Amino acid sequence: MKQGFRQSMAWLHTWAGLVTGWVMFCVFVTGTATYYRTDISHWMRPELRPAAVEPGIAAERGAAYLKVHAPKAVAWYIALPQEERPLLDVYWFDSFDTPIRQATLDAGTGQPSTARATQGGDFLYRFHFELQMMPLIGRWIVGASALILLVALVSGIVTHRRIFSDFFTFRRDKSAQRGWLDAHNVTGVLALPFHLMITYTGIVTLAFTLMPWGVASAYRGDALRFFTEAGQNPAGRAATGRPAEALPLAPLMARAQGEVSEPLEMAIVNNPGDAAATVVAVFEEPKGLAHRHPQVVFDATSGDVIDRLGTLKPAAHVFTSFLGLHEAHFAGPALRVLFFLCGLMGSATIATGLVLWAVARAPKAGAAPGFSLRLVRGLNLGTILGLPIGIAAFFLANRLLPVDLVGRATWEGGVFFGAWGLAALVGLARPQARTWREMGTAAAVLFLGVPFVDVLTTDRGLDFLGFDAAMIAIGLLLAWGARKVSRYRGPARARAAAPDNLARA
Amino acid sequence: MTPSSVLLTLALSFAGLSALCLAMDRHHRAIFRGAPSRRRARALRVAGWCGIGAAFAAAVITADWNFGPVQWLGSLTGAALLVVGLVSYRPRWVRPAALVALPVAAVAAFLA
Repeated sequence: MKQGFRQSMAWLHTWAGLVTGWVMFCVFVTGTATYYRTDISHWMRPELRPAAVEPGIAAERGAAYLKVHAPKAVAWYIALPQEERPLLDVYWFDSFDTPIRQATLDAGTGQPSTARATQGGDFLYRFHFELQMMPLIGRWIVGASALILLVALVSGIVTHRRIFSDFFTFRRDKSAQRGWLDAHNVTGVLALPFHLMITYTGIVTLAFTLMPWGVASAYRGDALRFFTEAGQNPAGRAATGRPAEALPLAPLMARAQGEVSEPLEMAIVNNPGDAAATVVAVFEEPKGLAHRHPQVVFDATSGDVIDRLGTLKPAAHVFTSFLGLHEAHFAGPALRVLFFLCGLMGSATIATGLVLWAVARAPKAGAAPGFSLRLVRGLNLGTILGLPIGIAAFFLANRLLPVDLVGRATWEGGVFFGAWGLAALVGLARPQARTWREMGTAAAVLFLGVPFVDVLTTDRGLDFLGFDAAMIAIGLLLAWGARKVSRYRGPARARAAAPDNLARA
Repeated sequence: MTPSSVLLTLALSFAGLSALCLAMDRHHRAIFRGAPSRRRARALRVAGWCGIGAAFAAAVITADWNFGPVQWLGSLTGAALLVVGLVSYRPRWVRPAALVALPVAAVAAFLA
């Protein structure tokens, strides 16, 4: 096989992009939405209003609940109310071999919250890296796809012959293939720093899942000790088995707050009720790229400070900086818009690349498409329009499902997958240009419907202007795309030969 | 990393990238009559790179070394997308928009 370097890279780019495209499109779209995770969570719990509760008092309310409902737990985690999430979330492990358990409390009373049960923005966040599968399998699939995407990115840069001369070029008046290729190049090249950064740092966040062997062989199964030595977790203390009365949490939280300027985020009680119990005050990350949380550790019975975590060793600092860059918690509202835009461009790069694969292989007019082309077209439809349909249905379900429905939070996820699955089936059954137009219109109507349903079902319309504006913008974008597809007549010079060029897209 | 600091970086990036875009034969032709003269193309190119450099300086000064480079890269992406959109849908707006970006940058610099 005699081929130039660029041709072999083009081959690699085409196939690496195709096999990971569908998964990575979903990862990019849900990841982009996750930049507004707290806003989404806020919108999905319209009953909650901002309430100022002293963090120490809230911690004690959480501990009081856990004392009754989880007295034998090995660890309590009390997530303190924040401005954007005025709730008290308590988590506990009955033993470290059982799954974590959770309850959501009203921060003002310490009683179970009466707000609607929902996973909020956390649903899309977890889907972003676990695809709603078993965590390990989902992370492996996302991690492996991201590795291949990195290959596709680098080979794509090599393949692109005119990065600089075509930098600003988007030719809409030439052939369909030219237009899709330009769209793919423009969205890919203009946000290239973001694409490389987000893919690479994304792989880094999954590093311990993808390459567990280093830690496993050096620490012989005691992975917790690794995180302790890296300065990320305080050292654990084994339970003594002797019960002891713990000090109240509020004074400890107040003392910790005296040492750290950031707001308190969480109170952790290890071995509650035991003589060796410890209390950890966890703070929000300080301003900076790195994603790290200052912590102060107390002996729960004597109240002595036994550990302080703040600064990290260089390797851990690099690691947490990569995490910080990926999550962009540091970004204020303006910079966040730019991150969001870059995420959309990443999604668009993948989507246009997938469509381009099918357009470039369109059969001659009159010839029937083969099985693989039909399959790719169907999967493209089911992913590129199916996922947005699922997300819009997820938001609508949040407003329309009865508040007292049993297993409500799970139902919302069920609606998401139900709507998406239905769209995917339609796409696979009729992978044609007409279906792009119809499904695009359906997605647009669903997104435009979200603000209307919101206004009709809650009295908080004015508090959610930003969210509703975003829904309308996405809906209009989809409607515009659907209109483009329906009005597309092919380029002027090819019109006589092929009346509906995109019918073969 | 205040909104005005982001706006400043964005406006300077936009002005710079517009100049670089206009320095290219294909885009110059779409907006004015004919290709730019060699002198004009070089002047636009120099102005463009100066704009991008100024955007970097502004980002680092107003958002310091920690966030400045991130903000600069993000602004370049956003500004470039705007230039591409204008050049392919409203080519005649590129030059006035780039000229408007300069006073916008000045106001944003005053606020940042």
